[in-house]
Amino acid sequence: MEDKKTALYNEHIKLKAKMVPFGGWLMPVQYEGIIKEHLTTRESAGLFDVSHMGEVYIKGKDSLKFLQSIVAQDVSTISEGSAIYCHLTNDKGGVVDDLIIYNSKGIIDDVDYFAVINASRINNDIPYMREYAKGFDVEVINKSDDFSMLALQGKNAKFIIEKMGVDLLNQPKFFKFIKTKLDNIDVILTRTGYTGEDGFEIIFENKYASVLWNKILSYKKDYNVVPVGLGARDTLRLEAGLPLYGHELSEDTTPIESSLGFFVPKDKKENYCGKDLIMKQKLKTSPLRKKLFPFIMLDRQIARADYEVYINNKKSGYVTSGVPSPTLQKNIGFCMIDFKGLEPDLVAKLNNPTESIGMNIQIMVRNKLYDAQIVKKPFLKKNYEK
Amino acid sequence: MNIPDGILCSKTHEWVLEENNLATIGLTDWAVEQLGDVVFIELPEIGASFSKDEVFATIESVKAASEIYMPVSGVIEEVNEELINSPELVNDDAFSAWLVKIKPTNFQEESSGLLEYNDYIDEVQ
Repeated sequence: MEDKKTALYNEHIKLKAKMVPFGGWLMPVQYEGIIKEHLTTRESAGLFDVSHMGEVYIKGKDSLKFLQSIVAQDVSTISEGSAIYCHLTNDKGGVVDDLIIYNSKGIIDDVDYFAVINASRINNDIPYMREYAKGFDVEVINKSDDFSMLALQGKNAKFIIEKMGVDLLNQPKFFKFIKTKLDNIDVILTRTGYTGEDGFEIIFENKYASVLWNKILSYKKDYNVVPVGLGARDTLRLEAGLPLYGHELSEDTTPIESSLGFFVPKDKKENYCGKDLIMKQKLKTSPLRKKLFPFIMLDRQIARADYEVYINNKKSGYVTSGVPSPTLQKNIGFCMIDFKGLEPDLVAKLNNPTESIGMNIQIMVRNKLYDAQIVKKPFLKKNYEK
Repeated sequence: MNIPDGILCSKTHEWVLEENNLATIGLTDWAVEQLGDVVFIELPEIGASFSKDEVFATIESVKAASEIYMPVSGVIEEVNEELINSPELVNDDAFSAWLVKIKPTNFQEESSGLLEYNDYIDEVQ
């Protein structure tokens, strides 16, 4: 199947972006260079075309009940105009997708909630949601082709949004969103992102994509905003310790095993897919089968996804993501350690953060083992404005 | 950036310049452009010998690791140590940032399969 193009495809070509297939889409991987794009986002502002992401409307009187039955998070905790990061789970407790759910009651006409999902998972999530929707008075509408989405990230993002018509005081706070106008264009403006920086995601009809894209980039002189591709999106999210579906998250791994227990509440009453195993792991009454760990290389070698991980010379897992970190000037990554076959003492140590942090592991790079060290997440402090 | 006279290029994007039975080898400007920001280069030991088309080095950009192949057979005489601490020099000028110098063992015969720079560029573009 041919890769889809976002409404901004021609803008990327004009900017001489290098285009690559990603999640069924042809997306810019870089414009001027990953390192420059990365550092500019950290220092001032970066603009990302994230139109490949999927949007789903949830409508109907059972909307909340339905969402509570398919995600581990407690969606009842978010009021109108708030968003929450969630995991869509399967009956084995694995993760079907990670997504952000927005409570849009009273904000988008007759839409109770909307969700932003991963591009590569749209074709899994929609049938999955519809199957579970059967017992509920709820409608699941795939709006992915109707909307474009930009992410404007970095400390200057708020000033650019201010110039486009939303004063600092009226801007949504962290994980809040509003329906507003930017330069007279109707948008949903959310204080979310995937870089660890303060910033926004902007959702709007496809026809406005070029106008908004070029308008934001026109603030380059005042606010040093540059277009940023998927290459830097990956290094930025990894430094911030954020997971990527298909790497840190999968259908065979629970959110707890992906070290995302923070997003699994203990006191949610409703049942959801895989809750039994997930809660047992959360409450430590069932052992973890594996666990995700952040690490830094102690050597100059760069760990890459799928490289083998060794502990005490025994193959014990694999790298899920690894990059050279432009901000830290170190090579960082995540690895999934398989507890099966490890000594019980070692598993106990790995399960205890005071002992696991600082532990040495080895990564196989081109048939040689190199030292790495388990560290604390995130690699870099997040700069969210809460 | 100057493209040195007389360089020959392989279809796997290495360039080689032979003078007085010493061959200097690097990566083409086109290949470097495709890689983007180079952050790490692993070079072979001096004295190691490699056959034509064998992997002798690895170059890593932010995104990925790529293998570098011998355009002709030979023994490593010298490696560009400067690239170990400053791999980005390859991005600045792919032709002055050579990777290794080798004593070729069968240059006449093996180089006949390589392309002149202009023909190489026509082929890759």
